[in-house]
Amino acid sequence: NSHMYVCERLCSTEDCIPGTGTYLRHGYIFASLTGYVLRKNEGEELPVISVVRETETQLLPDVGAIVTCKVTSINPRFAKVHILYVGSTPLKDRFRGTIRKEDVRATEKDKVETYKSFRPGDIVLAKVISLGDVQSNYLLTTAENELGVVVAHSEAGAQMVPISWCEMQCPRTHAKEFRKVARVQPEYLQA
Amino acid sequence: MPVDTKRIRGPEESQSPLLFLSPGKVPEASSRQGVRGNGDARPVFARCGLISQAKGSAYLEAGNTKIICSVYGPREAERKDETDMKTGRLVCDFRLAPFSCLKRGAWIQGSEERDLSQTLQESLQPGVCLHRYPRSQIEVNVMVLENDGSILAHAVTCASMALADGGIEMYDVVLGCTLRQSGSTCLVDPSYSEEYGSWQEGYGEDQGCVTVALLPNLNQVSGLTADGEMREDILSDAVRSCMDGCHKLYPVLQQALMRAVKKKAPPPAK
Repeated sequence: NSHMYVCERLCSTEDCIPGTGTYLRHGYIFASLTGYVLRKNEGEELPVISVVRETETQLLPDVGAIVTCKVTSINPRFAKVHILYVGSTPLKDRFRGTIRKEDVRATEKDKVETYKSFRPGDIVLAKVISLGDVQSNYLLTTAENELGVVVAHSEAGAQMVPISWCEMQCPRTHAKEFRKVARVQPEYLQA
Repeated sequence: MPVDTKRIRGPEESQSPLLFLSPGKVPEASSRQGVRGNGDARPVFARCGLISQAKGSAYLEAGNTKIICSVYGPREAERKDETDMKTGRLVCDFRLAPFSCLKRGAWIQGSEERDLSQTLQESLQPGVCLHRYPRSQIEVNVMVLENDGSILAHAVTCASMALADGGIEMYDVVLGCTLRQSGSTCLVDPSYSEEYGSWQEGYGEDQGCVTVALLPNLNQVSGLTADGEMREDILSDAVRSCMDGCHKLYPVLQQALMRAVKKKAPPPAK
């Protein structure tokens, strides 16, 4: 049941429920993308009609989404990051984000030092709390156990191993450095 | 006026060789090159997905007019004061390549190109679902490789094909068509000599050019540009003829887009 449509009228709202890639107008469902039409029975009364293209539609970071970002600069008040992935889909263009000092940790928010939580070049898992207003970037938070630094390089240049939630150790020089480390679920860790 | 400072100009006494050419004969309005009537548009060749770096792209040929368009986005919008949190922005850039017209153009965008960019943006905006892309901007770059008349109309068509090829959500594709009135004859989809030829004799009554941008499925006109002096009844007839021309163009577009989608991926398995 997969024909192709080009921004055309698909059917009326009495037959189907609109899904992704469609829009409603005057009681009819129109396609808003050029692609294949899929009709799925999701267990509700009416089937869901959606238009799909093979590439995943560009996901924009939405509030509550887990994003993977890279730290570009730090500041005593906040850290600036480039958002690279939304969930597990890479973004073609980089969006900019900010992690404020008070959003780094859940506890002891005022005693946080960004220099001891992130460094430029770290890969961080964060969650979007707000799209920001006209002046600012996306606002992100790492104030959860599973959020924080995932990959970091030491001052000697080697990739560090996490020891605790606030420290990482370099395997070459055995020096410990402070970071706000994410507690990655065991099934995601590679041996 | 922006001046091209990178080129080495000849000595001051030199003149352009084009000044010494004898002016070409203006073709009569009744004889059209080829075998098409006054109300027929030129056959169109359209392909999508030729620029691999861009999100979406399209190439359109109508007679000798050749237009290529590429679409990038949605990208993070540059933080200007007009950034709207709820909707995205459409940024259009219309360029005529320096080799596209008889007289060599400048690389720097002139005022006419900026005007056409603005018109292009106003015509495309009603067709794109910008509310689905908050805080982002979609860039549309149109380049005219050869100018043989009615470039704005074909640019609108080419740009909406590129947007559809790039997977940008749209309410409908936007198609464009031009009509040129010269005395008592009205020519749909004029070529360069038909569009600009007669005006060298001077402006007068019943000389005009109308370009219409239409959303065919919704039957809405999103852009209307008219130039010259035309009577009211002829102008409304002209708009209607342009809308007919757009509807005739629609099947070609559909085929080109479907071909592009098929090439990108086979139909999903059930």
